[in-house]
Amino acid sequence: MEELAPPLLTPLDALHRELGARMLPFAGFAMPIQYAGILREHAAVRQRAGLFDLSHMAQFEIRGETAASWLDRLTSNRVATLKQFGARYNLVMNESGGVHDDIIIYHLPDHYLVVANAANAHKIAQHFAAQNTPHTVSITNLHTKRALLALQGPASLAILRDHVDIDLAAMPYYSCQPGTVCGVSGLVARTGYTGEDGFELFVANDAASALFEQLLRLGQRHGLDPAGLGARDILRLEAGMPLYGNELGEDLSPFQSGQTWAVKLDKGDFVGRASLLVRAGLPEAKIVGLELLGRVPARAGYRVFVGENVVGSIRSAAIAPSLGGRPIATALVDASVTDVGHTLDVEIRGTLHPARIVALPFYRRAAR
Amino acid sequence: MVSPQELLYSKDHEWVRYDGEIATVGITDYAQHALGDIVFVELPRVGKTITQFSNVGVIESVKSVSDLFTPVGGEVTEINPAVEADAGLVNREAFTEGWLFKVKVSSEADKAGLLDASAYDVLTSAG
Repeated sequence: MEELAPPLLTPLDALHRELGARMLPFAGFAMPIQYAGILREHAAVRQRAGLFDLSHMAQFEIRGETAASWLDRLTSNRVATLKQFGARYNLVMNESGGVHDDIIIYHLPDHYLVVANAANAHKIAQHFAAQNTPHTVSITNLHTKRALLALQGPASLAILRDHVDIDLAAMPYYSCQPGTVCGVSGLVARTGYTGEDGFELFVANDAASALFEQLLRLGQRHGLDPAGLGARDILRLEAGMPLYGNELGEDLSPFQSGQTWAVKLDKGDFVGRASLLVRAGLPEAKIVGLELLGRVPARAGYRVFVGENVVGSIRSAAIAPSLGGRPIATALVDASVTDVGHTLDVEIRGTLHPARIVALPFYRRAAR
Repeated sequence: MVSPQELLYSKDHEWVRYDGEIATVGITDYAQHALGDIVFVELPRVGKTITQFSNVGVIESVKSVSDLFTPVGGEVTEINPAVEADAGLVNREAFTEGWLFKVKVSSEADKAGLLDASAYDVLTSAG
């Protein structure tokens, strides 16, 4: 059914095409995969800055006296302790200790903003509605109703600082502030999915395209390029950030996928907690980072071997420009072979290629 | 880009330059553009006998793995070490420095299965 429906368009659709973007279907939307080229856009974000359209992502506003405790009950990380204008990574859990989605929760004066994956927008909307009977919180689904732009890269602060009415330099990483950007009112958050410093801008749909264009103009002398989802996927993988459907899923616990730090078993009861208590002690397969020792890239789905035994499979893979073009990957492998330093083999078109388990992230930006 | 007149083309978007009994093979500018950033090429071994239109290797872009078909049959005499070291050369110079391999041609009849530049340009502008 979904394949037959025409793709949803973000408010920037016409602009993307004008900028020469290659558009592909993603989570029901027509999205720019690349403009000038994935590697060039990757380099722009690592060295200067890149501007992304993330208007396909789901946004929910949760209001009410019990909003914090309601969110705490559905997620694994702490919500109630999140300070006003703070932001925090979190996981929406299922009863078996798997993950419905990974999200960021922003604490605003009269509500919590939940940003969820586009691919999970419908699932999360249904889950939130089902978990809100009897009616305890007010849920506003802003998916497709409000645009989201992300300015990412070391030059982001310099590009944006003179065009906002808030003190950007004073904003900590993982915080947010309502404000105006180039005269457009919205929410500015110092968050992202690239491993670089940067800002995410929540603005009205009808202002988004002009703002994107204006930011490109303002950023020109800083080397800002529009960047697509192709570059974003390599950037996030290098930075060790999981992608739902690859490293995260309904059948994987956060202990398996590497988000143990976002599970607070002592915060009080929450959906999936009882299962997590059991699963914490089980020798389940885990997501690991792999660096291939040769030059042949791996791909998602390829099998991973120790000797003649299949011990897992590749979940994400890329050549990593930030690591000199070395092929990197994540793999879900048996608990017995997850130690950093272990050498495994990846089967690529019938031939085994050695790979070493390395600590995540593959890439970490220099301290500011 | 208008495809060079002196080359012949396959419907799989490879080009061939005949030079006596040696044919040089690459992928077209249309193909490199469609693939995006090319990061790895896997070429047939020197000495291997290959048949026209068979799968002889792999071209990997950032986003995808694509089979490489040969537009001409014969014995592989040389592969381009420059593209093995820097696969992006195929993006930058698809018709020249980014050639992939050379073949000692086994049959002139292979030419009958190939397109000239104008026919290839019609093929790629139609799709």
